[in-house]
Amino acid sequence: MSSKNIETDASLDYQVPLIRGNPTFASITESVSKVTEAKTTKEWFVLFGFFSSLTMIMIGSIGYLIWEGTGIWGLNNPVGWGWAIVNFVFWVGIGHAGTLISAVLFLFHQKWRTSINRFAEAMTIFAVICALVFPGIHVGRIWAVYYFFPIPNQMDMWPNFRSPLLWDFFAVGTYFTVSFMFWYTGLIPDLATLRDRATNKIRKLILGVAALGWRGGNKQWKHYELAYLLLAGLSTPLVLSVHSVVSTDFATSVIPGWHTTIFPPYFVAGAIFSGFAMVMTLAIIARKIYNLEHIITITHLENMNKVILLTGMMVGYSYSMEFFIAWYSGNPYESFAFVNRAFGQYAWAYWIMVSCNVIVPQIFWFRKLRRSIPVMFVASIFVNIGMWFERFVIIVTTLAKDFLPSAWDYFSPTIWDVSLMIGVFGLFFTLFLLFIKHLPMVAMAELKGVLPQADPHFGHDGHEGESK
Amino acid sequence: MSIDKTTYMISDKGSLGRNAMIVGALFLVISAAGWFMDSPQFFSSYLVAYIFWLTFALGGLFFTLVNHLFGSQWNIVMRRFTEATMYSFPLLAVLFIPILFGMHDLYHWTHEDVVANDAILTAKAGYLNVTFFTIRAAVYFTIWFFISRTLYNLSLKQDKNPDDKIILRMKQISAPGMILYALTSTFAAFDWLMSLEPHWFSTIYGLYVFAGSFLAVLCFVILFGLNLRKKGYLTDIFTVEHYHDLAKLVFSFIVFWGYMSFSQYFLIWYANIPEETIWYLVRWENGWYVISLIIIFGHFVFPFLGLLLRAAKRSFAWLKFLAIWILVMHYIDMFWLIKPALSHGNGPHFNWMDFTTLIGIGGLFIWNFWNNFTSNPILPIGERRLEASSKFKV
Repeated sequence: MSSKNIETDASLDYQVPLIRGNPTFASITESVSKVTEAKTTKEWFVLFGFFSSLTMIMIGSIGYLIWEGTGIWGLNNPVGWGWAIVNFVFWVGIGHAGTLISAVLFLFHQKWRTSINRFAEAMTIFAVICALVFPGIHVGRIWAVYYFFPIPNQMDMWPNFRSPLLWDFFAVGTYFTVSFMFWYTGLIPDLATLRDRATNKIRKLILGVAALGWRGGNKQWKHYELAYLLLAGLSTPLVLSVHSVVSTDFATSVIPGWHTTIFPPYFVAGAIFSGFAMVMTLAIIARKIYNLEHIITITHLENMNKVILLTGMMVGYSYSMEFFIAWYSGNPYESFAFVNRAFGQYAWAYWIMVSCNVIVPQIFWFRKLRRSIPVMFVASIFVNIGMWFERFVIIVTTLAKDFLPSAWDYFSPTIWDVSLMIGVFGLFFTLFLLFIKHLPMVAMAELKGVLPQADPHFGHDGHEGESK
Repeated sequence: MSIDKTTYMISDKGSLGRNAMIVGALFLVISAAGWFMDSPQFFSSYLVAYIFWLTFALGGLFFTLVNHLFGSQWNIVMRRFTEATMYSFPLLAVLFIPILFGMHDLYHWTHEDVVANDAILTAKAGYLNVTFFTIRAAVYFTIWFFISRTLYNLSLKQDKNPDDKIILRMKQISAPGMILYALTSTFAAFDWLMSLEPHWFSTIYGLYVFAGSFLAVLCFVILFGLNLRKKGYLTDIFTVEHYHDLAKLVFSFIVFWGYMSFSQYFLIWYANIPEETIWYLVRWENGWYVISLIIIFGHFVFPFLGLLLRAAKRSFAWLKFLAIWILVMHYIDMFWLIKPALSHGNGPHFNWMDFTTLIGIGGLFIWNFWNNFTSNPILPIGERRLEASSKFKV
């Protein structure tokens, strides 16, 4: 048992129970499982219909892209990387909160994570899927996309191992694999719970296969916990490595505004920042619709808001360091790149970025606002917008005014840029709806472990309040 | 030396403080002789030693701030250690004065003729000039002193008046304190270290120095705690569980340090822009590559492997060895940051003044630390969560 419990600010009553309403093991199983067992609601179908239609738009946009080529996007001569890369970096970043919550907070004994980790891990996986859409299609000649992979081929042609784009392939690929294994390992005991509750044969069979024969024996738990710990250990470096590698796509170049040494930690902080905002957006909706307010409590949300405030400030630190060093370098190209960002043709994008990422999170200094659902919901959406614009600012403003003034141009997106972006959001939410409907969205087995009655000393010393 | 079991005051301070002060003063006097003999050598040695000890105070300040901010309990048993470490800024401000005298030897952007003939330095002159440099230093010390004194006083007030409001107050101060800390420590690193090579720049530099300073204070806490333990103090309060957690932090910050240094090196190496690669070039040529390699293996690879296993993190003897090892590496790291900038193409060599300034400043630092530590209860006895902290288990 660790004594690193969470605490709330003003009351300093830090031994608040993690879960409200003193639920029993059975009631947790009931409230989480019933979401997957109850008859699908009309609202779910409406949402699913809407988002899967957006997914169809994505598929349509990709089809037209393959037919016609990348010319349908707003790319022009200096700006050869547009929204496709912006979206790729955005989605990879979103995934990071899941890994941080599931792996890093696990290693730090932060028990409040148990209410949201399943949720956040699922988000990670879906976000990485969304991210992976882009590198595949942005190459233009989709039929040659296998050049990406370091596989032997009849032309004896290999990708450039010194290219950050290839490292991306390894980094994101590893990230997806490990995140998926971690998520699935955590799911096994809960799948078995659902299997045991299943009333219909086919459901029992499917869940039984998925639960890999889990019986909940002592030995099984022992192996399970060791595997979980090891996977958490493996995932932790990935929190740093994936977005660091993504940052090298830019930072290994010699382009002012891209090449700066703070990029790896700056990207990681930004990724965690945006990821937490996305978890927040989703968790607020899901806990409301499925009556999980006693499991994902306001204290959980408050803690996430603190992380958003902290990482928002780290991002702000990076913006200021970049700006200061650009001036300090005495290099006119460096200074130009940043002055151009803030006051040039894309100043509007830059200030959207700064407002959403640095100014908006400052409201979380106030406990009242940290604990206000409408405030945090709006703020989380602002952060997501801001982080999308951060990538836009980095990629597009830097390219639009490169070393050669005669080549300067202004990037404007076309309808196909927009449709693809919206479509991928559709894909994300479609996958998420399927997850909410069919899998336990809260890690039941783990959650039971942090209940007071799971403490071996519970009730033994006569005063139960002690073990809260 | 003995301790009162109810007030947790060390009643007999022993001779450590006095001895440290005498040795420190003596070595500084000896070093001062070097000032007259070879002032460039003296100032470069002094700067390395000064920055080395400064990082303990800065690390201690960070450790205290971050734990107030997160409301963590496990560290409460060692809070007085880090509080006594961070409360050294008045002393460090006084010891900074020789650096102001040595600016002409240390920072070549102070040479007006050089700046006038150098477009880049002229462009930076609004920031890199003696007046602004001095004002900034004064601002840094004021901020550090103010934050550390407020937090220390609150903590001492808590001993007599265990009020939850104090816990809240410490937290409220730590939040803006952390922002000020991040900015001041970054700019101090830029001013005092990065501007030794004023043409060169790196946005990650502040984080690199920060990573080293946090490691320094962690190792300091481990060593000092083990020393008290050997004498039989706090054995059942500051337990192996705390050391295990400290070792985990050391491990993660070894990785963090490695991550920072790799990010900086790798991006500069890959882009291969001469104005940036020069910094690594001078740290490779003329025999400096030996020091560079020692840092890679000694500051990262060896402690990384040495702390992987759970048993290693719980072995006092091993932790003691590694803490000393990392501190030696930390010194070499500071040496490597500063000296190549001032050696004008000469290879690495360890001068007697490097030694005397290190002991001199260190002696006064330890004296100040020991004074702070023994003047107050060595545990925050008014802290409501103290008992929970002492029962902490990893």
